[in-house]
Amino acid sequence: MSIDLKNIQSGYDGFRLKDVSLQIARDSLTVLIGPNGCGKSTLLKTISRELHPRGGRVLLDSKDVTQQRSKLVARQISVLPQHPVVPPGITVEQLVGYGRAPYQNLLGLRSSEDRLRVEDALEIVDLSPLKDKLVSALSGGQRQRAFVAMCIAQDTPYVLFDEPTSFLDIRYQYEVLDLMATLHEQGKTVVAVLHDIAQAARYATDLVVMKDAQVRAVGKPTDIITEDMLSAVYGIDARVYADPVTGTPAVSAL
Amino acid sequence: MRHASSTRLIWTLLGLTFAAIAVFLWSLSAGAVHIPIATIINTLFDLDGPKQSFIINKSRLPRSLLAFCTGGSLALSGAIVQALLRNPLASPKIIGINSGAALGVLLTFILAPTLNLNWLPVVAACGGILAAAAIFTVAEIATVSPARLALVGIAIGMTCDAAVDFILATSELYEVSAPLVWMTGSLWNRGWAHLNAVWPLLVGLSAITLLYSYRLDLIRLGTAQATSLGLNVRRERLVLLALATLLAALSVSVVGVLGFVGLMAPHIARQMVGGTHRGLLPVAMLVGAILVVVADAAGRALFAPLEVSAGILTAMFGAPFFVFLLLSNTSEARG
Repeated sequence: MSIDLKNIQSGYDGFRLKDVSLQIARDSLTVLIGPNGCGKSTLLKTISRELHPRGGRVLLDSKDVTQQRSKLVARQISVLPQHPVVPPGITVEQLVGYGRAPYQNLLGLRSSEDRLRVEDALEIVDLSPLKDKLVSALSGGQRQRAFVAMCIAQDTPYVLFDEPTSFLDIRYQYEVLDLMATLHEQGKTVVAVLHDIAQAARYATDLVVMKDAQVRAVGKPTDIITEDMLSAVYGIDARVYADPVTGTPAVSAL
Repeated sequence: MRHASSTRLIWTLLGLTFAAIAVFLWSLSAGAVHIPIATIINTLFDLDGPKQSFIINKSRLPRSLLAFCTGGSLALSGAIVQALLRNPLASPKIIGINSGAALGVLLTFILAPTLNLNWLPVVAACGGILAAAAIFTVAEIATVSPARLALVGIAIGMTCDAAVDFILATSELYEVSAPLVWMTGSLWNRGWAHLNAVWPLLVGLSAITLLYSYRLDLIRLGTAQATSLGLNVRRERLVLLALATLLAALSVSVVGVLGFVGLMAPHIARQMVGGTHRGLLPVAMLVGAILVVVADAAGRALFAPLEVSAGILTAMFGAPFFVFLLLSNTSEARG
């Protein structure tokens, strides 16, 4: 059970991943890091099917995702996009309810199970009291939690987070990261793109380092975050030390 | 709250239905010849008492029904376009339908001046569909992002507008007034023939659109989210664009360019029942229908026996509404 990327070439006009192969193990919390423009978000968007690979295959539990019915894949993988769209005039509960779409027919009629899942998801992200508020009226941190709740309601074994902490101040960053860790503890496989190396090291069970549209290194945070890697991948001189709170690697640039 | 919101939807729909019936009756009574409501009822249901069969049956009834159908269709089309482009300021005009239809009509006047006027709707519909098709093709080649689609739509619409202006400025048509009246959006002289040509199509297309309301909700979440929820975004978007184009082009083809209905009606509906399309679409349809029926009747009543085109009235109310939206919409644009 895993997500397997085989020789993936996908991207935009001027950018393409160079034959990326990678295995994301079931039950891992895998974090992709790397400098801007290294292709980590492209890789995540390929897994989430937002981008079609121009070469190579994405295998979900050894079946090609493009060969399966879209709805069935949607019951396996949920996504928190980098820039979630806030629809006008939609309440928190309605938004979270959209997470049930893969289990509904095209008219979107809700079953009692759908309702239960939505209630649970709201409970987990602590938004139950705000469920009748408009999503557009929420603060940035609350919005992000509402979109996470939508992923939870989708009830998938794999959850993808594309830069979930961008544009949030530090309190809400940790709020979202802790939610990510909670989902992982509950048995979901989490794949995330993060910018902050210390945060990545603190939360990840597995790190994937990318540079120039390729995977440079894969492994445990303590093995991966080294001064040599930082200079080779990010081009900085830096010291790596154990974070006094968590003991995981942290970085200070010289 | 679920109960509260569906109760609200039902009351809103009931209220709007009564309002629609009221303005419909008013539009049958208003005009150069004022007809009392009692006379209208006598005529419609063939009761004893004074009747006005000729004016009502030959002129006002088909005309008001046409206003009703096209108003509802333009509103639906607007709601679809706003969801697809994720832009609350979008309208059927932005996908080039109005401009393409206008150009089609004018070109026909130039190239085939002897063509029977009954062909006007067909020509207009073709023009609108062609313009929309051109926009989809260009946008599809250049990866369909909503922003790109809107920009291409504006560009092609402007090209059509420029061509219309060029033709109007340079041609020596002595019958320029007919296309001009059509372009301002008027129901003047529309009768059963026009109504019968479009209503079955409009009703059918509207019914299909209502079935798409949940998919519109999902598409409104953006391509990334909609895809991950299991929707075939590319296919559904094409179907929805086609529905929006046909609804608007068919309407424009019989009543001309009724600006701002497609923009205003979905907004008013969203204020009334929120953003889920299951409620939004039927409410927007009724609001659009009421807007056009009122605009047409008011146009007849205001300066009777002179007529003001319905399109002029919708634009007069629509333009300030648009500015109001721009001013009040800064927060949503960031979301």
